[in-house]
Amino acid sequence: MSLKSLDPRVGRLHISEQEDNDKTQKGALDQFETYEAFVQVKEGKSLDHVGSVHAPNEEMAFLFAKEQYTRRGMYCNTLCIVKTENIMMSEFSDNKISVYDSVTVNPTGIITEEFEIFHMFKRGKHHRFIGTVNALNFEDAMANSKVFYPSEKPVYNVWVVNAKHMLTSDDDDRDIWDTLKEKQYREAIDYKGQDIIKAYKEKIAPD
Amino acid sequence: MYGGGNVFESMKATALADEDPIKLAEFEARIDRGEKIEPKDWMPQLYRKQLIRMIEQHAHSEIIGALPEGTWITRAPGFKRKMALMAKVQDEVGHGQLLYSAAETLGKSREQMLDDLVSGKSKYSNIFNYPAFTWADSCFISWLVDAGAIVNQVANSKGSYGPYCRALERICAEEAFHLKYGHHCVIHLATGTKIQQEMMQEAVTRWWPPMMHFFGPSDKISVHSEILMKWKVKMASNDECRQQFLDMYVPKIWELGLKLPDDSLRKNTETGQWEFTEPDWEEFKRVINGDGPCNEERLAVRRIAEERGRWVRKALLAPDAKYVAPLA
Repeated sequence: MSLKSLDPRVGRLHISEQEDNDKTQKGALDQFETYEAFVQVKEGKSLDHVGSVHAPNEEMAFLFAKEQYTRRGMYCNTLCIVKTENIMMSEFSDNKISVYDSVTVNPTGIITEEFEIFHMFKRGKHHRFIGTVNALNFEDAMANSKVFYPSEKPVYNVWVVNAKHMLTSDDDDRDIWDTLKEKQYREAIDYKGQDIIKAYKEKIAPD
Repeated sequence: MYGGGNVFESMKATALADEDPIKLAEFEARIDRGEKIEPKDWMPQLYRKQLIRMIEQHAHSEIIGALPEGTWITRAPGFKRKMALMAKVQDEVGHGQLLYSAAETLGKSREQMLDDLVSGKSKYSNIFNYPAFTWADSCFISWLVDAGAIVNQVANSKGSYGPYCRALERICAEEAFHLKYGHHCVIHLATGTKIQQEMMQEAVTRWWPPMMHFFGPSDKISVHSEILMKWKVKMASNDECRQQFLDMYVPKIWELGLKLPDDSLRKNTETGQWEFTEPDWEEFKRVINGDGPCNEERLAVRRIAEERGRWVRKALLAPDAKYVAPLA
């Protein structure tokens, strides 16, 4: 006997009540590896970490992140994707102590690759893109970042990403976000009901 | 969308005695300073366990909550309502994704959480075990169940765990549309034709008892809940959330000429508190334990989605991929 439902879509699934339950145990990685996504909403705004997605590869991660993090609002300028395992995370500090305080500046001076630097300025807030440094490796990039991007505010955590691991949306493809403005029905501002309530109250008010 | 009435694990007397007292003191000092806890920080086992449970229940509620509303997408009146409801349901599933990621940072994989949902081991908001009979039910959910969820989520967004706060900040911003959209739908029916008004009234009558259940039973002040409050895991009592909801929304329901099926419901002008008839808490327990009108269907739909989508995941799986939990 199949499951009875008010939902016609569920009815069409013909779910058997005795369907085998054992098969649902998920294997490791059944939901794929993780990627971190970064969004710049408008030109001139900062590029901020927005969250993660699970995806089987970079292209899919980009698509998922576009749906997950840039489907709402009016604009999006840039979307970046980095595989989580390619992010080097520093220690965390707290209580107005900067994590850079414990970084020794002893740059090797050997420049081989570009690294992208992200700072967390407040615990609980997102990481923000700060800039690029040339360096030999992650540790060297941290040291260079301390010199090149000194911060008055304490930095509680730093992410370092080798630039070659960042997948960034192409400027020519920006029109994928052009339709956002047409989707006003996704915005609270599109729903005005006070006039209807007022008219209704006037109608039912005793004369 | 998510309500209170979290099922917290009971605490063993030794739960805190086993923790390193110096690390525990540092952890508590950080919370007292108003600083958030981040995934790699040391945290007591109890804190980690309760947060996983709470965020996981919240995530499950988002994806299960999409089912009763999703039922009405194809039958929503008119193109605009269909587009809006589809966008709302997409938001809810997106919220599930954000929350699963936040819970993963605490060490439980998404696979395990989805397994525990399907096996019935972990719970979701009880209200979604009730069916949406008519379009008006869907309108009630969009407006008032979401309104209740926002009360809860705004409170939780001031909690102490960084990833959960970040997810909730995003979720609360998106929920603003749900609330206005839902209100608009209800206004339309409640001020419409006699048949529309009756349909809306029936939905309100049907959904009021589960709505009163939504925030959970009165919480006893126990040592356990005191610790969770101190650690900013639990931010407001079930009663506080329910009172806030009644205060904000009962007047808005009444002004539309809708009646709530509780003759004792009124605001005591002296205490400032709402008085109401206690809903049937036996029914609440019964439904949460599996015996509600839709429990079986909700889990069956999830299970089928997992089973019948397996070949897609398998086809996409990279053999040398390795799992890394989200960072933040």
